Amino acid sequence: MKMFTLAATTAALLAGAGAAQATDFEFWYGNTGSVETAILAQCDAFNASQSQDKVTCVGQGSYEVSMQKAIAAYRSGNAPVLIQFFDAGTLDLMLSDAVVPVQEILPDVDWANYIDGARAYYETSDGRLFSQPYNASTLLFYTNKTQLAEAGITETPKTWEEIKAAAEKLKAAGHACPFVTDGDTWRVLEQFSARHGLPIASNHNGYDGLDAEYVLNTTFVVQHLTNLVEWRKEGLVRLGVDTKAGKYADAFNAGECAMMEGSSGSYAASAKAFEGKYEVTVDMAPMYEGYERHNTLVGGASIYVMKGHEDAEVAAAKGFLDFLRQPEQQMAFTAATGYVPVTKDVLGAIEASGEADAAKYATAAIGIESMNQPRTEDSRGVRLGFYVQFREVFMEETQKAWNGEQTMQVALDNAKKRGDELLRRFEQTYQGVTLP
Amino acid sequence: MSSPTQALFANRWLPVLLVTPLALLIVIFFYVPIFQAFYWSFFLERPFGGGSIFVGWANFARVLADPQFWEAGKRTVIFMVIGSSLAVLVPLILAVAADRQLRLSQPARNVLVWPKGVAGASIGVIFAFIFNPFVGILSPLNQWFPGIWAPGIDGTDAFIMLIAAHVWSGIPFNFVILLAGLQSLPRTMHQAAAMDGAGAWRRIFDVQLPLIMPQVFLTLVLEFTESVTSAFALVDTMTKGGPGGSTNLLVYKIYVDGFNGYDLSGAATQTAILMVFVVLLTGAQFAFLGRRINYER
Repeated sequence: MKMFTLAATTAALLAGAGAAQATDFEFWYGNTGSVETAILAQCDAFNASQSQDKVTCVGQGSYEVSMQKAIAAYRSGNAPVLIQFFDAGTLDLMLSDAVVPVQEILPDVDWANYIDGARAYYETSDGRLFSQPYNASTLLFYTNKTQLAEAGITETPKTWEEIKAAAEKLKAAGHACPFVTDGDTWRVLEQFSARHGLPIASNHNGYDGLDAEYVLNTTFVVQHLTNLVEWRKEGLVRLGVDTKAGKYADAFNAGECAMMEGSSGSYAASAKAFEGKYEVTVDMAPMYEGYERHNTLVGGASIYVMKGHEDAEVAAAKGFLDFLRQPEQQMAFTAATGYVPVTKDVLGAIEASGEADAAKYATAAIGIESMNQPRTEDSRGVRLGFYVQFREVFMEETQKAWNGEQTMQVALDNAKKRGDELLRRFEQTYQGVTLP
Repeated sequence: MSSPTQALFANRWLPVLLVTPLALLIVIFFYVPIFQAFYWSFFLERPFGGGSIFVGWANFARVLADPQFWEAGKRTVIFMVIGSSLAVLVPLILAVAADRQLRLSQPARNVLVWPKGVAGASIGVIFAFIFNPFVGILSPLNQWFPGIWAPGIDGTDAFIMLIAAHVWSGIPFNFVILLAGLQSLPRTMHQAAAMDGAGAWRRIFDVQLPLIMPQVFLTLVLEFTESVTSAFALVDTMTKGGPGGSTNLLVYKIYVDGFNGYDLSGAATQTAILMVFVVLLTGAQFAFLGRRINYER
């Protein structure tokens, strides 16, 4: 009986405590390292800015793990109010019925303030944003200016043809790793296709319906990837695993490799690693000659509002989203990480700050410029089901081409075949559901 | 008639009470998920729930028609056969050596047990470093023949690396079992064989090995079933199933499909198939191998 009383009292106390702090809410994110530091700084700043609501920011270690836990938590009714999720899962979340479109619960926000490149990826067919873009990045081209100059290259290459010529010069000068890549889907397929105006799948990459099919094995991507494999044989290109550092960005940052295509989000790490040793350049990702430049896609992640929460929690979460949209918050985040600000007023604020040319904003202007290039119906984004799994398929098949087991054409044919099976299963799983 | 439990426990509910915590754990973390997996394998399940569709055997038809599944299955069997055989053979050699009154066999018996305390994931991290093509033990090989050892690119190299780590992690347990078996053999048998003129090798093959067959069988059964599932930590930390899927064993494929690809139905179906396979495998081992082993001494 005593035990029972004690338990009852404890339960009552806990319930009371919960009621008194109903405005505590959770935000799950997946980043680590300097980005995580910046995210936590924003959480602290929000909690310090007002006393009513309190956000608890929980790091899950990676986007994938964060999503896994969110799925399990949602199914058992314990999901956080806010969750950050990465680009590739956009359609999975749109059809999940587990999230509320952010524009629906925050109707008064000036969403047109977001740059088109960021909107296109996350908006519904009638132009409503599903999630609030958060740590936005895009693909940029990095060079180690110091090493390039040593090999007699004074102009930063802008096209793949120029990159090849520069790589040959570097190799002739004894450089072991002129250009490094990891062959990642986002870098070599999605961003390449978008800026060259090539589709990855029919139905405009799935935007027009769930019955899309992959077409990546029929576009210029095949030639590009075949080139990369050839150039690797010639010693002009290295894969991350070919390098001492083991990872492509680490190899670039350590000065082992002279050029790379990388996310704007990795700029801060490169700049820090280069300090006092090398000079870094960032530019828009390279084009092939004869192709008109289109926009690159917004990468990184956005924040979703999950269903199943009380009004007070949602209201508090809205306050946090409002806080994150503030220009000064976005500017601080950009400066700390290299992620790109995604609202127009922030660009103005950076201009007005008089520091537009400062190194900490180096990726902001160039990243926005890259995302604001003329767009086509095929460069809006990727809206394909089970796309996270397709990225795995793409990597697996192309790795077999990198190591010579099959040609790139065969690899991409296989990727198409396996990818189409994923799309058909997605279509079947979401029978009767239409794209929002 | 008094049953053994009543002889040991004064209260008949005490044994039940003692078993309950463990039984609960097994039910919650094994039987419930397994039941769930079998259940989901007949549905198309949406990641976030809601709107699951009953599809009968369609998931099984899809999985069984998928060449990727068979590839992963083939790799699993190759890994199981080579990995388990070596994981028993190597400790067997070590145990036979440690059983002989060699110098240092006493400290060796201790040292060889230590890896038991290392978690699979840690072993993976350590071996990834040991086999690193630039700084690992095989890096001199790369200096003489550039590119000959490249587990990040070459699937065969990656598979070898995986098996090496698996065998190493299997040594301590199997070593303990096999050494215990060897030590339980009466010395008089050795002496009798020696007096009949049998040399050391002959005694190993004709006296020791036949007599520790029960232990060898036990380690083999455990290894075969374990290798199917315990390889997960190694694959996850060393290769992530790559390069080009060359180390994508079934257990890792299930994880990637289910947790990275949100294909809950496909992952559940493969789990069900894998489960049945392991049960059949163990049954077969008992039926064909187990019968031929003489447990009598």
